[in-house]
Amino acid sequence: MAIDRKKVIEQMSRIEILPDENGIIEGYNVLVTQLSTAFWNSFAERLTSKTEEDMLEAKEYLLYNAAHECGYHTGYGIITSDEWNAVVRPMIEKVPEDVLYGAYAVFTAWGWADSEIVELIPGEKMVVRAYDYYEADIAKYGASKKMSAYMIAGVSAAFMELAYAGEYDPKGKVIGIFVCKQVKGIECGDSYGEFIVTKAD
Amino acid sequence: MANMIKNTVKYDHFFDEGTKRHKINGIQSVLHCHHYTSLYTQLAIDAGETGLLTECARDAVRDILDNYFAANPEVDSIQKKIEIACQYYALVGLGTMKVHFLGDYSGSVEVLSSHTDDGWMKKWGQYDRPVNYISAGFIEAMFEAVLGLPAGAFLAKETQSIVMGAKTSLFNVTRR
Repeated sequence: MAIDRKKVIEQMSRIEILPDENGIIEGYNVLVTQLSTAFWNSFAERLTSKTEEDMLEAKEYLLYNAAHECGYHTGYGIITSDEWNAVVRPMIEKVPEDVLYGAYAVFTAWGWADSEIVELIPGEKMVVRAYDYYEADIAKYGASKKMSAYMIAGVSAAFMELAYAGEYDPKGKVIGIFVCKQVKGIECGDSYGEFIVTKAD
Repeated sequence: MANMIKNTVKYDHFFDEGTKRHKINGIQSVLHCHHYTSLYTQLAIDAGETGLLTECARDAVRDILDNYFAANPEVDSIQKKIEIACQYYALVGLGTMKVHFLGDYSGSVEVLSSHTDDGWMKKWGQYDRPVNYISAGFIEAMFEAVLGLPAGAFLAKETQSIVMGAKTSLFNVTRR
């Protein structure tokens, strides 16, 4: 594989993210915050855990969709950034597959999840494993019945769209061409999280 | 990312090579974009859970400020604690704010620039109601932490909003 994952993680994790004089962090084509994982986890888990069964799927979809849109736009910002061009781009031999492998190294470096692609059928299917991720922190003991890595799932679908759904569209019209389903979760007692991305029906 | 500022608030960034997680001043943190903030906020509005979004922000920020004040005993006055809280607000990319008044029973805070409002307008344009429920939680936590009062002691309500076309946002704070 052309992408030196370890090197990408090492270099991209060192980037210091600081605000401008207005307290705004602008980078990667988006505005960014660096809030605590406890905040994001607590809202998602408190929202879904108290929801009646008939409304759960709808709320989970909205959490997944938030990450899906975020992943599409921020992902594009990442793979066109100066940092990407300096660190990852020189390693790319095969487009878009190496871009995807590199994107997951950056995904890991940013603290979203220690994750990598374990299977890729170009344009059709991708399987991602996450060996550690903050969304799993909703379980401190035992196993939750509910898969809760909405962020990893949404971003994974978005990355497939960036790779295989044509040119980037600032309006995000291609969002939804791929879907991602979480099939294993650390929060559910599995030793890793697993996510399968396929074309939407 | 040009024009970086730190002010006097400490920024101790640590990346754990083992877990691949980031910590800022000992608190596990993660980068997310304005699309994520906007869609979480929209979800809270649609689900009738804006109070929950504020409460989650309040609890998370309270942990951050309590942790910071405990680790930095030189931050020992109300004025210093307010300054650090305002700088922390900027440090994490939420924007800038000015505390006009903070008391045991009430207060007033002006948000001069706002990630949530700017992000919402960048994504969808102006809106007909306030959307900055995360900052409301931040402000409630700041009042609690500065005065050493229990969680839920204050209610911050946005009475003027950048997303509605105002130049700045105003939050009126009352004791629950």
